[in-house]
Amino acid sequence: VTAPGTNTQSASPGSDDAALRSERRTRVFEAMDRAMLDVLVLGRRDAVAYATGARSLWTAGTRPPGPACVLVGDRRASHVLSTWDAGVPPEIPFEHLYGVTWNPAILAASLQAIPGFVDAGRIGVDALSPGVERLLARLCPSATIVPADDLLVGIRARKLPAEIERVRTATAVAAAAVDAATAALNAHAGHATAQAAAIRTAAARSVTVPSSGVTVRRGGAWGTFGVDVGLLVDGYEGGLGRTVGTTPGGEADESVATQRRLVEACRPGATAADLRADASGTARWMVRGSGMGFEPPVITTVLGDGVRLAEDMVLSVEVDVAGFMRRDLVAVTAGAPEIMTP
Amino acid sequence: MGADLEGVLAEQRFAPGAGANPARPAVDTDSIDTDIDTDIDIARMVRRRHARLQAEMANQDVEVAILLHRPHVTYATGHPVHGVDATHAVWERPVAVVTAGGDRSHLLAGDIESQPATPPEVQRHPAVWPELGSAMPALADALAAIAGPLAGRRVALDEQTGAMLRAGLLDGATVVDASHLVASAKIVKTADELACIALAQRRNEIAMRAAQQALRPGVRRSTVAGAFLSALHEALHEPGGANLIDPIFQPVPRSVTDGPRTTTGTVAFPTGVGDPVFAEGDLVWVDSGIDHLGYASDFGRTWVVGRDPTPAEQSLFSRWCAVMTAVLDVLRPGVTAGDLCHAATTANDGERPWLPYFYLAHGVGIESAEMPLVGTDLGAAFDDGLVLAPGMVLVLEPVVWREGVGGYRAEEIVAVTDDGWCHLGGGYPYAPFEAAA
Repeated sequence: VTAPGTNTQSASPGSDDAALRSERRTRVFEAMDRAMLDVLVLGRRDAVAYATGARSLWTAGTRPPGPACVLVGDRRASHVLSTWDAGVPPEIPFEHLYGVTWNPAILAASLQAIPGFVDAGRIGVDALSPGVERLLARLCPSATIVPADDLLVGIRARKLPAEIERVRTATAVAAAAVDAATAALNAHAGHATAQAAAIRTAAARSVTVPSSGVTVRRGGAWGTFGVDVGLLVDGYEGGLGRTVGTTPGGEADESVATQRRLVEACRPGATAADLRADASGTARWMVRGSGMGFEPPVITTVLGDGVRLAEDMVLSVEVDVAGFMRRDLVAVTAGAPEIMTP
Repeated sequence: MGADLEGVLAEQRFAPGAGANPARPAVDTDSIDTDIDTDIDIARMVRRRHARLQAEMANQDVEVAILLHRPHVTYATGHPVHGVDATHAVWERPVAVVTAGGDRSHLLAGDIESQPATPPEVQRHPAVWPELGSAMPALADALAAIAGPLAGRRVALDEQTGAMLRAGLLDGATVVDASHLVASAKIVKTADELACIALAQRRNEIAMRAAQQALRPGVRRSTVAGAFLSALHEALHEPGGANLIDPIFQPVPRSVTDGPRTTTGTVAFPTGVGDPVFAEGDLVWVDSGIDHLGYASDFGRTWVVGRDPTPAEQSLFSRWCAVMTAVLDVLRPGVTAGDLCHAATTANDGERPWLPYFYLAHGVGIESAEMPLVGTDLGAAFDDGLVLAPGMVLVLEPVVWREGVGGYRAEEIVAVTDDGWCHLGGGYPYAPFEAAA
């Protein structure tokens, strides 16, 4: 039995995604023009997904830097590291795929064959390893290699309406998973059983890929549990966290009240100092960007100086007071912040 | 290493018939050998890895190693692996620093109170945020406090973030690739490391029972994946066992021309996209990996949905067993990767029985695929020069493909011992396929 709703992992990114992909791609190429980049080489999953719409097998953890996609600015061309066309959007021709290889010489030949690559004057990268730096220097001897992660951060911070819609959809799945874990805990199940219930509930909605994952841990008082779910649905992160089994009063209430104040403070123009003023008295909190996973800005008691919140940002607002935690995703609007949790 | 291994792992021989049970239900859950002595000494493991890193730093003339890639950090410090997406892994990443001659490695990571105890062999420091420009002064201070000034020295590094590049943290240093350092240190495993892989594999296999039982006509891939992922947590009743890959249950086409289209003109696997509803008779390739203390498992089987294999499908498996047996018959210290490729190809009538964009076999450890790589596009000269040694681990994954019938693919993990090999898997059955008597 399959629950209705999100058909999340469609084999070919559908035509309903085409408009969003086009908007993101335009943003990336325009930003390349502004930064005078001839070529952009991206290695990180979220960066590749944002720029090209290509989907690939989810794996946990970091991957070594490398050319998972190559964007050529003046040709508006996207070339993707993939051995097959499954998961590759139709606007990227098959001839623009270069296959997975273990052989640096074969990779080098694939990159050299990309029109506009070897004559690039300025190449942007999202991160760099000594190996990739050497490879680029050898293949493109006249190129200057510059970090371009900030270019992507700049354009991704303010979400498109369709992106906010996807975060909302993803958060609905996460909320159902939190509800399932909560029901299990209320029925006196252990944390492993509650975790399993959350995972099955998400899977019944076709979602098997975590962002931060499903965590169930002991809360601040006996019989309480912190339940947090972060999932990726169609490449976008949905999430929330709740403390289960609390009774009114004390630190549990303080956690809820503090998180509400922080949420309310997420308005255009707000600074880290503004948020810190609202978080006074709480032990641990973090406000950070959310979109295709964990994104900047990152604001805590010590991080985030110089950050100014802007309309259309999506933020994860998390507070933990003595083991009582609460987290929501929040869209910054011209008016009151919108909590994405259904 | 043979003596080291004794008592940790029992010597086994490949016996595909041992676990296969022709009776229904498809999975004989009692036939998996889950009884493994898990005498893993974490502190000893961290100490030995540190010693190997130190030796390689001396070999490669490296004064300071700065490690950002998650498996490298785990190798140097024992920092636990979380089954989180790349974005979380990147932004919240721990960093490891190793100095030549230093008696301990250094771990720069957050959340000290929520982590399992760090072995005394590792020095803790507050978290740094290598992605954040505003955090660069703190990172520079931390590196200087641990390693002294970097300018003018040989520094091994696996990744520089944009913020690090803009801040010029490595300006004046001679930067070399830290992945060479770790690659040389890790290729031969200690007994503790082998036990970690073996334990991860057993746990992976136990959770796979739930997936195989959930696989029926009319069920979605995500439901089968959900059964596996929930069983990982529910059945094991203990933390750890982070999932490393969206578990793959991919129906494969009967013919390459049924798509997807590939750059090699062969079957595409694993695509990791789509959420198909399984139909009776689907040939499903299964692949997954989980973590134990930083070490990966690798599970692979082929299942048939809702019916027994046809004789043609069964013949694929028989051929796969013949390939596997031929490879294991020659596997011992001193043989080359090329010898294994030759044995496999000979057993398959001269045709290479593996996916051309992958390998006949790959190592596994802190990465789900690492050296030794056997039969890759690195080429025959590379394979012929790669000599296998005790303590190396191989995940053998032959694929037998017959156009019009489909393919059989499964994986087995073995470690090279002093005089042969031993199995690191628990003998998960091959049902619904039957081994030839």
